[in-house]
Amino acid sequence: MRYRILVLVTLLMVILTSATTLLAQAKPAKAYTQPKTPWGDPDLQGTWTSDDCINTPMQRPPNLGDKVYLTDEELTQREAAIARQAENDKQQFVAANAQANVNPPGHWGERARRPCRQTSLVIDPPNGRTPDLTPEAQARVIPRGAGNNPASWEDFSFYIRCITRGVAGSILPVIYGNGTQILQGPGYVLLLQEMVHEARVIPLDKRPHAGANVRSYMGDSRGHWEGNTLVVETTNFLDGKTGIGLNGGGTPTSEALKLTERFTRVDPSTINYEMTVDDPKVYTKPWKVGFPISQEPGYQNFEYACHEGNNAMFNSLSGARAAEKAAEKK
Amino acid sequence: MFNRLTVFIVAIVLLAVFLQAQTPAQRATGIPRMSDGKPNFTGLWQALGTAYWDIRDHSAQNGPFYQLGSTGAMPAGQGIVDGGEIPYKPEAAAKQKENLKNRLLLDPEVKCFMPGVPRGTYMPFPFQIIQSQRDIAIAYEYATANRVINMGKPKEAAVDTWMGNSNGRWEGETLVVDVTGLNGESWFDRSGNFMSENVHIIERYAFADADHLNYEATIEDNTIFTRPWKISLPLYRRKEKNAQLNEFKCVEFAEELLYGHLRKK
Repeated sequence: MRYRILVLVTLLMVILTSATTLLAQAKPAKAYTQPKTPWGDPDLQGTWTSDDCINTPMQRPPNLGDKVYLTDEELTQREAAIARQAENDKQQFVAANAQANVNPPGHWGERARRPCRQTSLVIDPPNGRTPDLTPEAQARVIPRGAGNNPASWEDFSFYIRCITRGVAGSILPVIYGNGTQILQGPGYVLLLQEMVHEARVIPLDKRPHAGANVRSYMGDSRGHWEGNTLVVETTNFLDGKTGIGLNGGGTPTSEALKLTERFTRVDPSTINYEMTVDDPKVYTKPWKVGFPISQEPGYQNFEYACHEGNNAMFNSLSGARAAEKAAEKK
Repeated sequence: MFNRLTVFIVAIVLLAVFLQAQTPAQRATGIPRMSDGKPNFTGLWQALGTAYWDIRDHSAQNGPFYQLGSTGAMPAGQGIVDGGEIPYKPEAAAKQKENLKNRLLLDPEVKCFMPGVPRGTYMPFPFQIIQSQRDIAIAYEYATANRVINMGKPKEAAVDTWMGNSNGRWEGETLVVDVTGLNGESWFDRSGNFMSENVHIIERYAFADADHLNYEATIEDNTIFTRPWKISLPLYRRKEKNAQLNEFKCVEFAEELLYGHLRKK
């Protein structure tokens, strides 16, 4: 009898031990301990880039349906493509007689260091597509880029004019300038973004938003902590300026826009970033973009003196006027 | 036993008195501090006065556009230059006069260019300091200009920029910021006072009391000036309950001026 119990207990112990081991293996990673600032806030400081999702489209191609993530095989293919591109960039940079073309050389741009697993930057609705525009929004004019015989600077986007890319456009991944430096002080979070030198001061003291008549391109941000997640709510936007697209492109949003951003540090070098777009005058329902931003060795922001050196604006406009003069003579 | 204890207590008291006497008298009380005891400059600050018109003493005078009437005039003001005069070399003094004459064409502020250092400090706009446990950032309302003061191992400027390369250090209660890598395109004010790309600026920020800072900047530029010189002024904490850094993206306000002649007729 005693012998039987001993066997039973031993067996149970073996089973329990194996089960625990299996469970431990099923967990994705060791729990991450969020560092804190000396005044007790979760510490998100550092310079973070959205580079890794450069090759991820804003909207999911319709044929992919509800497929949120790439397969392991597809991911391996992307990794190989990134490695090939890195090799190609190196060749371009060092070759004595490298072919020049109209595109900037590889080292001008920023590249993904590892592929982004998701198939679109839009993560909600589940089909990865932006919701339908309201009838009112369909009439909104999107400023066109260069090359359309501009009558004035107002034909160009706010980005080309070096005014701003808006909140979304300042963090969505593009060919370069994807850095966001987070700096925190007691009661504040500051987001410094390289392109068009944005500085978003986010008070954490639960003060109310600025009055409804104080409106701006970057809006009025208020932050708070939900656990270790920084939640930033932004309102008071100007009407009809930037859109929720790359570099602030896309249908210009309205004065009813409310953005809710969530920054969650999931490991020392990764923040999961999410933004909920709620603009009932422009979109028929709220939607979300989300992607990881990462801290990379040696990556830093530089001064982006955009307007100060905007010769392209002079050249585009004077070129258009010269073309008109030449056409008159014919 | 009792005697020994008395001697011990007396010794402790004497030691405390001695240590108290050794503490620097200038350590400010009642100012905000970080958890490590460093002064905490986090807040919204702004200069008063009219140094943004002219950092030297100046009388009230006409503005450039009569249509603005008295709202466009330049108010009188006391200068912020120690000793009153900027020690220009003769050819630089002549250039300053030319700058002033052509101000509407040449002043970077008119064009909404970044203000540089130290001009951003005393423009008629507030600026927000956010101080972390290490680095300190300044976001200026004007033109959304900003800079980060590196408080770690000093870094050399990678390239010349409008806002320069800032390395900070603590000298007791004073934040000392060494600014290099300025591109020399910035002016000091609306009166054409200027610098070159060889300029080196040392700023000092110190609390006078909880709501006032004393700001100083020493300017060294031996291509323009005969000797280093200094400006000093107080900075005031914005105390309105709802004071905050607003947005002044001024490019839009300068486009007609800059590109208007290229508009399709």
